[in-house]
Amino acid sequence: MALTGRFALLVALGVVPVVVAGAVGAAEAWLALVGWLVLAIGAGVLDLSLAASPRQVALHREVPDRVRLGESVTTVLSVENLGQRVLRATVRDAWEPSAGLAGSNRARLRIPPAERRRVTLQLSPWRRGDRRTEQVTVRSAGPLGLWSRQATLAAPARLRVLPPFHSRVHLPSRLTRLRELDGRTPLLIRGQGTEFDSIREYVRGDDVRSIDWRATARHADPEVPGNMRLMVRTWRPERDRRIVIVTDTSRTAAARIADEPRLDTAFEASLLLAALASHAGDRVDFLAWDRRLRGRVHGASGPELLARMVDTMAGIDAELIEADWASVPGQVRRITNRHALVVLLTGADSPGSARGLLSVLPQLTSRHTVVVASVADPALIEAARARDDLEQVYVAAAAERGLLDGERVGAAVRRLGALTVTAAPHELPPALADLYLELKASGKL
Amino acid sequence: MTPPVVDTAPSTTTVTDAATPTAPAVTPTVRAFLRHRRAWLVIGAVLVLGALLVLAIQGGARTPGPAMGADNPAPAGAKALVEVLRDHGITVTESRSYEPALAAAERGATVLLYDESGILDDRRLRELAAASDRLVVVEPAFGALEALAPGVRLAGAASGPVDAVGCDLGAAERAGALSDGQRLLTIDDDAADAGWQGCFRDGDFGFAVVAGPGAGGGELTMVGATTVFANETIAESGNAALAIGLTGVTDDLVWYLPGPADADAADAPTIGELTPGWVSPVMLLAIVIVIVVGIWRGRRFGPLVVENLPVHVPAGETSAGRARLYARTASRTHALDQLRIGTVRRIARVLRLPRSAELAEVADAAAQATGRDEAAVRQLLADVQPAHDRELVELAGELARLEAEVQRTLDPRAAAPRAPTSDASPDRDDPTGRRP
Repeated sequence: MALTGRFALLVALGVVPVVVAGAVGAAEAWLALVGWLVLAIGAGVLDLSLAASPRQVALHREVPDRVRLGESVTTVLSVENLGQRVLRATVRDAWEPSAGLAGSNRARLRIPPAERRRVTLQLSPWRRGDRRTEQVTVRSAGPLGLWSRQATLAAPARLRVLPPFHSRVHLPSRLTRLRELDGRTPLLIRGQGTEFDSIREYVRGDDVRSIDWRATARHADPEVPGNMRLMVRTWRPERDRRIVIVTDTSRTAAARIADEPRLDTAFEASLLLAALASHAGDRVDFLAWDRRLRGRVHGASGPELLARMVDTMAGIDAELIEADWASVPGQVRRITNRHALVVLLTGADSPGSARGLLSVLPQLTSRHTVVVASVADPALIEAARARDDLEQVYVAAAAERGLLDGERVGAAVRRLGALTVTAAPHELPPALADLYLELKASGKL
Repeated sequence: MTPPVVDTAPSTTTVTDAATPTAPAVTPTVRAFLRHRRAWLVIGAVLVLGALLVLAIQGGARTPGPAMGADNPAPAGAKALVEVLRDHGITVTESRSYEPALAAAERGATVLLYDESGILDDRRLRELAAASDRLVVVEPAFGALEALAPGVRLAGAASGPVDAVGCDLGAAERAGALSDGQRLLTIDDDAADAGWQGCFRDGDFGFAVVAGPGAGGGELTMVGATTVFANETIAESGNAALAIGLTGVTDDLVWYLPGPADADAADAPTIGELTPGWVSPVMLLAIVIVIVVGIWRGRRFGPLVVENLPVHVPAGETSAGRARLYARTASRTHALDQLRIGTVRRIARVLRLPRSAELAEVADAAAQATGRDEAAVRQLLADVQPAHDRELVELAGELARLEAEVQRTLDPRAAAPRAPTSDASPDRDDPTGRRP
């Protein structure tokens, strides 16, 4: 049950009869007051009894399955009146605040019996993950609009908000570089990072040094002397390499650097690397790990890979627990036994928190090429420069200490045979992609 | 706030399939609510009933009675004395208003007057004194003394128990002594001439009990404090003897504590009479309106929505905490050493010295590059200990200047120092290097 402002106004209007009766006498004034209150409450009760039931309602939703963070979607809620009376309702759809509902979430509807009305809501989610609504509240007013009946109805819906993948703007330039490596114009010179592609007939313009004399000899037809066909070997960059991306979702990933949590940066970098590598024909597997497997994408390729990756990432948030690095080699081994590029996206910035990582790195580097990618805090670099007063000097000293710690961990990682990429949040995804291209070009995958 | 778009046109009208199920309600119906909360409702009802029952049995809540109340068993009451008197056949009549007390006094009853709040005015006091044969005034106020015994004045509290009877009052002689906590009265010469005498002298300060002739020729006794009559202290010393001696002389005793009805203001119109008749109802109506508006605005539109927010920790907190730690312990040398290590490493990198280069080598190379004095550079990079805060700030600034100078000598175009550490991507200046 709920009251309306109209009822409050009705009660307030009781001042008039009370004052008028008060001119006659005090007893009459009291009588007028009681009479007015009885009248108002009676009208309210009558109104309530005439209101349509808010429970005799069917709800239908049209909610898109998923949306990228930063984009807007339109959802529709249809309210159908199953009762016998006209439903004068205010309807509230209880989306989570982070679903980013534009405007008010209340809609006034007047639905005759056995009809339905559509309420269109514009959602612009501002947080990754599953945005939900569990219930719809219907407040049904009576014909006088004094008292209302109210009921909350279960009508769950879910909108999956995918990571934004802002770093895809870096993809075209990296793909161009990849194409330069790639065999769109098949390479005729054997070099590092290439594998044998095919033998074909020599055409003008081919490098004479690439002529394969043995193949030429095999193709020479002894019946037709003088009809010598020169054969050349072609090479192409190595393909079908394995890449395993391990994202650390433990407490270090919860750190917010330059207004972006480390985890989101790691996701951006993973997505860019995966998009690039799947274009290059490599096979990408994704793991999100802290003390347990938080998400895993295995055996997907092409467009499906990215779709599955963003879907897996959508629901993952950092947890305040210490990562269990000792189990990571086992997880990688479950994906592949062959040599692979293992990318560890973590926050290796202090010796204390990196100890677990450093202890298992030798196991990984003995079998795989390992890259440790971590986000550097640009604020530390800024802070280390400002030295105008005492407080700033202490802050600069602490920042310098932090930078040194990061460098020490980086050096330790490199000593253990892994590669490091450290960059500011917005620069890490392209930096990792460039390192991948470098590795590919030099045939270290 | 734009309201959500509502299609008012009857779209997909008249859905006739009767199979459409209603959405399951989360809000319980009234009946379900009552059934669900039955246990609590029963417990509440039992508690209310029990409270009503207790109230009915006790006949209303018993408030602590007035001081000197005849039926007040509290320490300040006087039930003990009254009960003893009744046991001895004396009719004690309680009175809270003036007229019955005056009537009883005229019939010859002893009157005990205790006017705690000074309600009675002079006229009524004199009238009562004139009418009564025996009047005992307990703890008389200034106004009462002025009206009844002009020469008797208040004289503060007694210094301790008093035992100097010093008068021929029978009750006082029987009592012999009074307990501690008496209040004193003095008698000036005019009053003494008029026949007033004091009992229980406390040194030169005054008397605990004063007796004299009333206005109508009756006996008038004034007792300075309620200590003599109160339940708490009546059993001490000779208090009881004095109290009984004063009040138990006649068969009738009127125990008169003036009530609000005796106030002098009866003639003036009350606020209720001055205001128009509709003011009180309108005030009540205003309260009702406030309640109605509160319900209108306060009624929640469905349950609150819970949002599970992920944990985010600002990354700079560790660094900021460490800086405050340095500052609190004033670790000047330690802080400066951190800055020095960073500077030395960056200079070594800029000058292409090996990672294993000694500090002295770096210092010498920096001195050569900048043309500074070698010893001074070495001092700056290693030896000087900052003695106070200002020196620390100066040295930190000097380190930054040295670093900038080294970079400028090698690359005059780079006016601004580059980022101290960066093994970021080789194409950091890529136009697409920043995200939208």
